[in-house]
Amino acid sequence: MPTVVVMDVSLSMTRPVSVEGSEEYQRKHLAIHGLTMLFEHMATNYKLEFTALVVFSSLWELMVPFTRDYNTLQEALSNMDDYDKTCLEAALLGVCNIVQQEWGAAIPCQVVLVTDGCLGIGRGSLRHSLTTHNQRSESNRFPLPFPFPSKLYVMCMANLEELQSSDSLDCLERLIDLNNGEGQIFTIDGPLCLKNVQSMFGKLIDLAYTPFHAVLKCGHLTSDVQVFPRPEPFIIDEEIDPIPKAINTDLEIVGFIDIADISSPPVLSRHLVLPIALNKEGDELGPGITDDTEDENSANQIAGKIPNFCVLLHGSLKVEGMVAIVQLGPEWYGMLYSQADSKKKSNLMMSLFEPGPEPLPWLGKMAQLGPISDAKENPYGEDDNKSPFPLQPKNKRSYAQNVTVWIKPSGLQTDVQKILRNARKLPEKTQTFYKELNRLRKAALAFGFLDLLKGVADMLERECTLLPDTAHPDAAFQLTHAAQQLKVASTGTSEYTAYDHNITPLQTDFSGSSAERM
Amino acid sequence: MKIFAESHKTVFVVDHCPYMAESCRQHVEFDMLVKNRTQGIIPLAPISKSLWTCSVESSMEYCRIMYDIFPFKKLVNFIVSDSGAHVLNSWTQEDQNLQELMAALAAVGPPNPHADPECCSILHGLVTAVEALCKITEYQHEARTMLMENAERVGNRGRIICITNAKSDSHVRMLEECVQETIHEHNKLAANSDHLMQIQKCELVLIHTYPVGEDSLVSDRPKKELSSVLTSEVHSVRAGRHLATKLNVLVQQHFDLASTTITNIPMKEEQHANTSANYDVELLHHKEAHVDFIKSGDNHIGGNSREGTFKETVTLKWCTPRTNSVELHYCTGAYRISPVDVNSRPSSCLTNFLLNGRSVLLEQPRKSGSKVISHMLSSHGGEIFLHVLSSSRSILEDPPSISEGCGGRVTDYRITDFGEFMRENRLTPFLEPRRSLEIPLERAKDQLEKHTRYWPMIISQTTIFNMQAVVPLASVIVKEALTDEDILNCQKTIYNLVDMERKNDPLPISTVGTRGKGPKRDEQYRIMWNELETLVRAHINNSDKHQRVLECLLACRSKPPEEEERKKRGRKREEKEDKSEKSGKDYEPDKPWQESERLKSVLDREKEELAEAEIIKDSPDSPEPPNKKPLVTMDEMPPVEKAKGPMSLLSLWSNRINTANSRKHQEFIGRLNSVNNKAELYQHLKEENGMETTENGKGSRQ
Repeated sequence: MPTVVVMDVSLSMTRPVSVEGSEEYQRKHLAIHGLTMLFEHMATNYKLEFTALVVFSSLWELMVPFTRDYNTLQEALSNMDDYDKTCLEAALLGVCNIVQQEWGAAIPCQVVLVTDGCLGIGRGSLRHSLTTHNQRSESNRFPLPFPFPSKLYVMCMANLEELQSSDSLDCLERLIDLNNGEGQIFTIDGPLCLKNVQSMFGKLIDLAYTPFHAVLKCGHLTSDVQVFPRPEPFIIDEEIDPIPKAINTDLEIVGFIDIADISSPPVLSRHLVLPIALNKEGDELGPGITDDTEDENSANQIAGKIPNFCVLLHGSLKVEGMVAIVQLGPEWYGMLYSQADSKKKSNLMMSLFEPGPEPLPWLGKMAQLGPISDAKENPYGEDDNKSPFPLQPKNKRSYAQNVTVWIKPSGLQTDVQKILRNARKLPEKTQTFYKELNRLRKAALAFGFLDLLKGVADMLERECTLLPDTAHPDAAFQLTHAAQQLKVASTGTSEYTAYDHNITPLQTDFSGSSAERM
Repeated sequence: MKIFAESHKTVFVVDHCPYMAESCRQHVEFDMLVKNRTQGIIPLAPISKSLWTCSVESSMEYCRIMYDIFPFKKLVNFIVSDSGAHVLNSWTQEDQNLQELMAALAAVGPPNPHADPECCSILHGLVTAVEALCKITEYQHEARTMLMENAERVGNRGRIICITNAKSDSHVRMLEECVQETIHEHNKLAANSDHLMQIQKCELVLIHTYPVGEDSLVSDRPKKELSSVLTSEVHSVRAGRHLATKLNVLVQQHFDLASTTITNIPMKEEQHANTSANYDVELLHHKEAHVDFIKSGDNHIGGNSREGTFKETVTLKWCTPRTNSVELHYCTGAYRISPVDVNSRPSSCLTNFLLNGRSVLLEQPRKSGSKVISHMLSSHGGEIFLHVLSSSRSILEDPPSISEGCGGRVTDYRITDFGEFMRENRLTPFLEPRRSLEIPLERAKDQLEKHTRYWPMIISQTTIFNMQAVVPLASVIVKEALTDEDILNCQKTIYNLVDMERKNDPLPISTVGTRGKGPKRDEQYRIMWNELETLVRAHINNSDKHQRVLECLLACRSKPPEEEERKKRGRKREEKEDKSEKSGKDYEPDKPWQESERLKSVLDREKEELAEAEIIKDSPDSPEPPNKKPLVTMDEMPPVEKAKGPMSLLSLWSNRINTANSRKHQEFIGRLNSVNNKAELYQHLKEENGMETTENGKGSRQ
């Protein structure tokens, strides 16, 4: 989940803060201090997160495009100038553009807005934006809700009392509401000082940037892993079950399926599964081992040499072209597979299916999947040449069952032509002729289109008169018989209009005996 | 998304009164004469559909699209109204398909133009429709049962689509009022019933249809709220294809559908088999499949649909598929499709191509001219889905390779063996409820648990899994139950191993991390037997038959009897002495130790044998093999076994013997220092300063 840090660099951010120490601090410095802490945390614990830095006043500027280079971000923090007034709407619009250009509309992003709670004056101020919110046309839509899934975190360099004294807090709360409630406002507890800023950013880190650790299990084979990015809780149906579901920290493999069978399934999100060496507290890792980076490197090297289940699993999934089905919670599943980033690099990846008992129709109900050893005979065949997947649905879809649609005249004409074509090739085409005839009859009865039956009957009678001398005598019999049957059906009398009734070929002597002779 | 939105329940009320038998006055030519046969023949007069036929086929088309795209959880109740209401199907899922409806409609037949118009009315149908909406569907029932005390969260909303021929605007108002009153009454009834649900929201869609060429007596009216429960809209539509078009627009609105036109589909021409022309096919699907276009405001990329049926369609270009490569695409959504023109030749060519198992990637034409694959059409079990492929930059790009992380430097993983393991643990659907009440997926987990009780991850950690000779035993011992034949195979395997030992066959023992040539032959066999015992012991609680395999194993290990053993050992010693003399200095320092150790172990054995009768265990004082990793794993196993069930007699006994034995010797330093029985036991062997520890170990034993 990429992060955009949106930093307020308006003049109000330079307001001094009375700090017990001798040095004079501005709110800006507090903000920089907090962001430094955030970036440091990410650089060590959340390395793979892409972060961009935007500064804004009445204008906005992308200081650092999305990067994992936290040094660059740190440096940028120290190169910020002070500008004029706060104009949040323009900045949020900028965020929309930046994110969509980079990631499209489907990838969730976290927007961390750092401001002092002075939301500007006049046109472009948040107050102005909110009051005009209802009078907007589609073309100058307010940027919230963001067009991508998002969380908006507002980090206020002010305490609650200060914000409440004006209507700033209300405005910010409306901002979160406009983002469909996705987000949160953080304020400084107590006096403005470095320590309290730290604790505020600490809360943000706890909420949004703690790595997700889990245990990957396959029977007794296990591995400690980090799942990146953190899987987000999911709401299945806001009405019936409004409580967001989070995934288990035990990721339990339940079995395996060929890639061809799982067949590019739709997923909610995908995540890297990175094996980690947990140095459990209390374990004697030896004194000093984690102290400096050199020892850390050697610790990494040791970890690299200890066999890890993830690596084994990844290797075999890759070689066999399979995925592992993993249970993430009650009625929630996902899959593990090898994902190649380039020719050399590949990784163990996990994709989450939509929660529910049957996320993929072609696999059926997940709970009904069992081991092949329970089946009477191996469903994959002795030579591994078949597969029990995909499951066939009970009812065929319209395009797979030759439905009759006569909304356009061409549909009707094609069906009549088919009958006519086969009529001219009687008696060879007897079977197809009656098949098409019965299809037409059924549809006409269902649609109450009895005139058509009469019309086609007339047409068949005419065909009968047009038969060439060379025609097989059976052709005339069948045509007359078919025409007569359609005629009785067109009367609408119930005994002839049974839907399930089929017109069967007339049993003629020559058709039977001629077939025998041949 | 809400499951129980208005779209969950749709009631069709189609007028079956005498005036619906009237012609729609739109002619259909059905007698299209083939060119060379036209001479002298006058084609048959065109026919026209009745208002009834138009209504029925349009509503069937509505249902066709709906069932194609939402085969579940979107239900239709079809009602026909004349002198009474005829309900053609129910809310049950089995009744939800076109065949059922068509058969029921055929049974009703066209309206009788000679019936008494006075006793016929659409009102019968509307009243029944409201009744139907109060009836609970199986999905609602299931959700209510599941939610228990929160059952009130299950909504009851619905939509009534009424196709009729109204007389005037006031007639329409009368119909609306009737529906409103009926809802009011039925909600009261439903409040006191367990089987009925009150209607929370009802959308009434009144469609007035009339013959082409006549003036409409009813005016259109957009959606209007008549009460907190009821909204109503009126559409005045000419019959014939106009009605069909209207219902097509409605089905898209009602089910949030969008249209995609696949362009540039190459199709062989019937007449000219060598050439192919390009065709377009329009598909409907849930609009989520266009989420990227809608949100990025890029929805102008498509033109208007050819016939102006829909407001807009997104055009995507066909990419001729490569040969059947099996790839796992990153797909963010898959939505069922329905062709707009299901029977047209281009549509059926496309759908048949897909139904035969091919997938087609779709390319998004971009202004810049760059090529972006954004969607894929693919069928799964006879259903075609439009897959949305992610075309934006990945947030997971450039991740650290798995070889850089934990365990990444290990090079001898049993990749092939684990591949075999995965194939054995593939899943398969079990459709019928099975005899046992066990859930198949739980059985699958259970099997994984059994198959992994002893599963060394790397080649150098195992001996038995590197031996072809062990396969017959290893493959069956993990089973839940053994047949007599299985036992026989296991026993054969064990005898075979005994035979190998007698013949002194070499074993594939890893020498990684050991100095010199690694363990001696009889030590190798000890390692192998230990490991095999670990494997078998991990499964003894599965069944009595597993126990018998262990018994056989233990019995064979203890054989040949002491006398022979001693002889054999003597013989081996001679052999080895010969060898070691040849092999030179490397072996020298080990020799005296080994000899004295061996003597001691033989003495111990005799003592033990006296004490413990038949049970002959490895002497605890016998030298530890330098690379005896399996023991570490064995130490892990007992808790698992305990957890699996009550203690067996054997484990009670072995525990007792183990404790007795442990009193006779000093505990190994490595084991004493181990954490959770996971000892960095022979770590020292891999490292430079490891030598010291080993020697200390020896010293303490002597």
